[in-house]
Amino acid sequence: MAHTFPELIIGGVLLAPFVTYLVVTFVIIIVLRPLLPVIGFAKMFSHAAIAELSLGATILGLLMLLF
Amino acid sequence: MVATTAEQPFTVAKIPVSSWSFAIRVWLATILALFVSFWLQLEAPTTSALTVAILAEPTRGQTLEKAAFRLLATVIGVTASIAITGVFSQARDLILAAFAVWLGICVFAAKLLDGYRAYAAVLSGYTVGLIAVQQIDHPQHVFESGMARGAAITVGILSIAVVNTLIFPSDRQPGMLAQLAAIHRRVREYARAAFHREPANSAAFLTLLREIVALRPAIASVALESSSGSVRSAAARSAAVALVAELQAARLKDDLEREASGWAARELLRRDAEVRQDLAALRSARWPLRVWRAPLHRSYRTAAESGIRAAAWVAIASMFYIWAGWPAASFSLSFVALVTGLGATTPNPRGFTAIGLVGTPVAAVLAGILEFIVLNGADAFPLLAVGLAPFAIGAALLLSSRNFLWSGFGRFNLTLIMVLLAPSNPQTYNPQNFLVTTLLLVVAAALLLAAQTLIPPVSDEKRRMQLLADARGELLKHGHAKGEALEEAMFRDASRIEQFIAVGGAQDSRALAEMLSCFDQSAVLHLCDAKLMQVTDGPLASLAGEARAAIVTRDTATLRAIAPRFREQATQEDSHDADIAACLVLTSNILELGSGAVARRKAT
Repeated sequence: MAHTFPELIIGGVLLAPFVTYLVVTFVIIIVLRPLLPVIGFAKMFSHAAIAELSLGATILGLLMLLF
Repeated sequence: MVATTAEQPFTVAKIPVSSWSFAIRVWLATILALFVSFWLQLEAPTTSALTVAILAEPTRGQTLEKAAFRLLATVIGVTASIAITGVFSQARDLILAAFAVWLGICVFAAKLLDGYRAYAAVLSGYTVGLIAVQQIDHPQHVFESGMARGAAITVGILSIAVVNTLIFPSDRQPGMLAQLAAIHRRVREYARAAFHREPANSAAFLTLLREIVALRPAIASVALESSSGSVRSAAARSAAVALVAELQAARLKDDLEREASGWAARELLRRDAEVRQDLAALRSARWPLRVWRAPLHRSYRTAAESGIRAAAWVAIASMFYIWAGWPAASFSLSFVALVTGLGATTPNPRGFTAIGLVGTPVAAVLAGILEFIVLNGADAFPLLAVGLAPFAIGAALLLSSRNFLWSGFGRFNLTLIMVLLAPSNPQTYNPQNFLVTTLLLVVAAALLLAAQTLIPPVSDEKRRMQLLADARGELLKHGHAKGEALEEAMFRDASRIEQFIAVGGAQDSRALAEMLSCFDQSAVLHLCDAKLMQVTDGPLASLAGEARAAIVTRDTATLRAIAPRFREQATQEDSHDADIAACLVLTSNILELGSGAVARRKAT
């Protein structure tokens, strides 16, 4: 079965589904960010910045796969 | 621009390795932004490369903060463009008038803010120039043009964010901790000198004050650096506010009678402990015990004057272009708006325009070499990438210089080379177009400089007088903004002194002395008031009320009379009542000194 993407239409302007995924990822990251220091995320990796970027990419990929 | 560290950095060709890595990051991000824009077939690939050039900041937190503000300001600017075009459709002169007023409002807002917030304010202003004014003859394209710009900016932001994360991520936070700790050490040395009753060193005090306040924008950008950034930023901000309070306490120790000196020493130790706690919180990424804001002094009058002048400059330029009737004048006018806006975020707008006037032909020559000698008809992306390398890296190296002139020159070059080259897919090579664009840019800079000579920017002298009047007015009002802690009010006063020095206040020694006197008086009045507020019941409550009334009327004789009565009640040398007594004596001393300074100033 073909994967259908949710359409986002604002005022008659059709937006690419990718924009929706990007915005949702952004919101999730903003919510998740304050929790990361609590679990000691930065101490788990030698390059915390790259790990955070990878986390963002993972969330984006999962969203596209699951929804 | 670059974090100052104590040890000598490793250098290549006499340029620190951090600058090289910064320049290479900028080049790679430009290439990535252009590649993605071409691949997505965006209408405005140049804007994405320009975004990278504008977001080229030495540390990741700064880049991200500037990016967030750029995105926000673009949304505001595009909305304003649509509104202005919609309201004044078919009326060219009214659109231009509305644009000048809007830019004036944005400059007004920028003058009340600092760091990237100020940049966002002016960007909202000149975005209207880039969208509504450039499409003045085709208003139906404003929406599309706004969307194209938004998409290109998003690609640019993502490119530089990814490149900055993957390659040599540089954080501001360790440098920030070192800087704050170094300032703390120097504040303690200053306090030690005051304790040993060495002559008051007001130059050292002012240097320290300026350094602390200057850290404010950098502290804000630490928040976006990592997931623990917001905690560290709060800790650093609290440390900076506490440092100002400690510095003030050390200053109070300068001229003291014996009876108040014990209390002042305890006060200094308390402040020192606060700073140490905040620095420890910053080191271990914990929330500080008290989270303080770092408010900025806002001079509404000066901001309004700057806004009106900016609107006038753009109006003069618009009138000139209408009169000249050139076909591509809208492009030139948007450059006038851009330089006016960005100049408003620098201490010297006219100097900034002058750099623009000199920098534009230099950038044009460089872009011409790149377009017509190096690339000369090439249409393959790798060739563009290689060709761009020396120009992007060279300009970014200049940009990372600590010299204001060189770094401004580098920023101009980096952005203007992109504007003039206008990378597109397929690339067009049109010498006539290139020459016309260059000419329009030079004319814009020259025209703005002429307008700024006709109506000069607000003079330093006037700004100094305004700051002094603000300081006096606030002291008379007595009482700080609602919900503002004593320490926060002190930081705001410190930021006013910093602004005063920045407009050449150091030369005007009498005004500077009065500024400092206002700072001392305001601090000690608030401190004393806070202490008296704590006495709410018991036999001394009515006495405390009397003392507070005497503070409002600046009645030093009554304050001196009340002080011994508090001391009589004190059970121990270091009890709260003894502290109040010492504080009252100190307040009356400083008030008398302050009124003496005012009287001397009036006499001359």
